[in-house]
Amino acid sequence: MHSAANTLADFAGRDNCVNSAIKTQSLATKAGAPVTALDRIILRYGLAVGSVAAATALGFLADRCDLHESVFTIYLLAVALTSWYAGAWPAVIAFALGELAFDYFFTPPLYSLSVTREDIAYFPVFTLFSGLLIWFGVVRRRAEADLRQSRDLLEAEVEQRRALNVELAKRSEELQATNRELEAFAYSVSHDLRAPVRHIAGFTELLQKHANPVLDDKSRHQISMILEAASRMGTLVDDLLAFSRIGRAETQKTTINLEQLVKAVIGEIAPDTQGRKINWRIGTLPISYGDPSLLRLVFSNLLSNAVKFTRTCPQAEIEIDSLNHASNEAVVFIKDNGVGFDMKYKDKLFGVFQRLHSQESFEGTGIGLATVQRIVHRHGGRVWAEASVNNGATFFVALPTPGKVKG
Amino acid sequence: MNGLKRILLVEDDPKDVELTLTGLAEYNLANDVVVARDGEEALDYLYRRGDHQTRPNGNPAVMLLDLKLPKLNGFEVLEQVRADENLKMIPVVILTSSHEERDLVKSYKLGVNGYVVKPVDFHRFVNAVKELGVFWAVINEPPPGSVKKR
Repeated sequence: MHSAANTLADFAGRDNCVNSAIKTQSLATKAGAPVTALDRIILRYGLAVGSVAAATALGFLADRCDLHESVFTIYLLAVALTSWYAGAWPAVIAFALGELAFDYFFTPPLYSLSVTREDIAYFPVFTLFSGLLIWFGVVRRRAEADLRQSRDLLEAEVEQRRALNVELAKRSEELQATNRELEAFAYSVSHDLRAPVRHIAGFTELLQKHANPVLDDKSRHQISMILEAASRMGTLVDDLLAFSRIGRAETQKTTINLEQLVKAVIGEIAPDTQGRKINWRIGTLPISYGDPSLLRLVFSNLLSNAVKFTRTCPQAEIEIDSLNHASNEAVVFIKDNGVGFDMKYKDKLFGVFQRLHSQESFEGTGIGLATVQRIVHRHGGRVWAEASVNNGATFFVALPTPGKVKG
Repeated sequence: MNGLKRILLVEDDPKDVELTLTGLAEYNLANDVVVARDGEEALDYLYRRGDHQTRPNGNPAVMLLDLKLPKLNGFEVLEQVRADENLKMIPVVILTSSHEERDLVKSYKLGVNGYVVKPVDFHRFVNAVKELGVFWAVINEPPPGSVKKR
């Protein structure tokens, strides 16, 4: 790469020399006018004629010094020079002129274009060598043009990459700033929003305790409404905080036995299932890969939901099983026979604080499925649901399985 | 105010102070509390400087410390306390609104004896404060040099 660049520089340098020489000439004649295409053609062919003229002059000099044999070489040099600097066609002209001049001035009979038998061999040799020199010039020019083109392409690409890098760095900086802002926001919410909520709840409670004997039923009801609202706001703030923490928490991924995890979660939510008739069916679940505490939260949310939304069923059926899916992901589903939901709301299902049921029929803040989605997405997986009203719901969780932890 | 108390409550929010004292009052511990409104006042009390110049010698049996405080925050107070030969043994319990893991980690790294997130629910809050007060001011045996039990 480096040597190629050097070669390019050499070529460029050489060309610059010629160009600057040509430019100086044109400056002298045209007083600073730019070198036009016509000028360039004149200069190139001028070089051909000039080099042959110079070769003729040198030839006479050589002839006088009894170096008759070198005249032939001098003309070849003129062709080589023209081929190198001016290109193929001027070199052809230089060759033609050179041959004529060599014949006219240096091959007996002198000052005539006729040739003696013993000198005739010079001309095919001159033609052959000139042809080789011209061909070499053409090849050199072509290679140079190719190299220059690659260099330009490379330069353009480097420039493009540099611009992209700058853009990327800017974006990443913006993103980091946004992230910091968000973090500061969440922190401030955690610190500042929780305190007033606690105060409202606390002082209302104190008021209730102290003033209870003198209050009428309506006032007592209103106080209990304040307390309920404060408590709900507290839950919302806490849920929102927990949700924002998921995005910021460091994940520590290991292999996880989902079957064990699901069973542990079912044990955990047992207090909520007391007095209920629930038929749990747990199929064979795959070994998965992820952050244990986050994935536990996923199944805790989904299984709690299944328990919650089957509350109206005399006999709840909750099935947890896996799909035989593509080998690059493990798909687990949780199917219940609860109240389900209308599929036209399926896009709203995973939104933050989105609820499809009234607070009276099913309590909750609407953060559970948003949390589920956020965690699954952080694991590079997918989550979706199928349901119909009063006919149960099925939630699918697809987690990617890295090849190395298969089985 | 200048007396020697078993519990040093460092809390800037008067409402939180009132609620905390309400909680402690249920075990008659409210009179055992001295309140510092910011980090600097907490250190003034501990070093017997400024308003607390005249208080008798001795350390509180526990310091309940909020993290977000005016002037010096909880961490800064904690750092100074843990760096001082005479104060480093004082049991310190963080009493804060912050759930943040980094606050938790930083607190424990600085050597706190407990970390309590103020519950939003009033009953749980009062219970938490009561239990803290009873444990640290009554049940726990404080390090030598602390205020004696009544």
